[in-house]
Amino acid sequence: MADISKEKMEQIAQMWNARGKGLITHMALEIEEVSSDGVRVRMPFNPDFCVDKDQTLLHGGILTALLDSVFGLANFVAIEKVSTMATLDLRVDYLRAARSRADVIVNAHCFRQTRHIAFNAGSIWFDGHEEAEIARGTASFALTRGDVSMFEAMTKGKAS
Amino acid sequence: MIDLQTVNANVFRVPFFRFLNFEVQSLDSLHAVAEMTFETRHIGNPVMDHYHGGIIASFMEATAAIAVHPDFTEVPAKPINLTVDYLRPGVKGPLYARANVTRKGRRIASVSVNSWQTDQEKTIAEGLYHFLLV
Repeated sequence: MADISKEKMEQIAQMWNARGKGLITHMALEIEEVSSDGVRVRMPFNPDFCVDKDQTLLHGGILTALLDSVFGLANFVAIEKVSTMATLDLRVDYLRAARSRADVIVNAHCFRQTRHIAFNAGSIWFDGHEEAEIARGTASFALTRGDVSMFEAMTKGKAS
Repeated sequence: MIDLQTVNANVFRVPFFRFLNFEVQSLDSLHAVAEMTFETRHIGNPVMDHYHGGIIASFMEATAAIAVHPDFTEVPAKPINLTVDYLRPGVKGPLYARANVTRKGRRIASVSVNSWQTDQEKTIAEGLYHFLLV
């Protein structure tokens, strides 16, 4: 699959950063790589997402939320003319205790799309420790297709 | 059995549980029910103000962990994995979760969790969670 244009990638990054509120904004996600083959995103360490007093152990739920978010981004990029997208189901395996103050890196892609459904997979590790995955997940999304893509609808609002 | 006040004091000590902002409402040896307050930081769809699916899954995981091990001192029960089915969007307003421990062995616990908003019959999401007890 061809790489998407630099312009579209910048628009996607802008759209994510311009959300202004909500969890994705709070996670302060930084897009590192985007192509129709997959996306790579960085989540800076945030003590709010920990479960322990010393704030070095991430809660599993934030990793689940991270996968769900980045699957959405991967679908934006890989699928043409999606007007709405909803997570149908999600499975996450927590492969080891997420104990570190390093940034978290997530890699995700859409491995199959049909008219109505997208199938995604992704994995998570601490920056610099790609060999030691901390979580892996798969999900399916229900898509509705329309002439105006969700991506276009959201970026047009930000144009002025 | 541990009292609710102590459980909620434990909950309040966990930074991520404060981020979720929920309170345990009832508890017995195999169940826990909790209520989460809607916050702007929980939003997944900023146009519709719906809950982020990951926040719903996190809240259900937290409720499940409390049902498995309500009197945790350091960290909540260790999660192994989860599957979640999203049935309806979670709209602005409180979200409730009820966790039922379906099996608690020596090493592993299985927990099923349901979440709803105004009508308990209208499930927002349901999930299955495994925890490691050793």
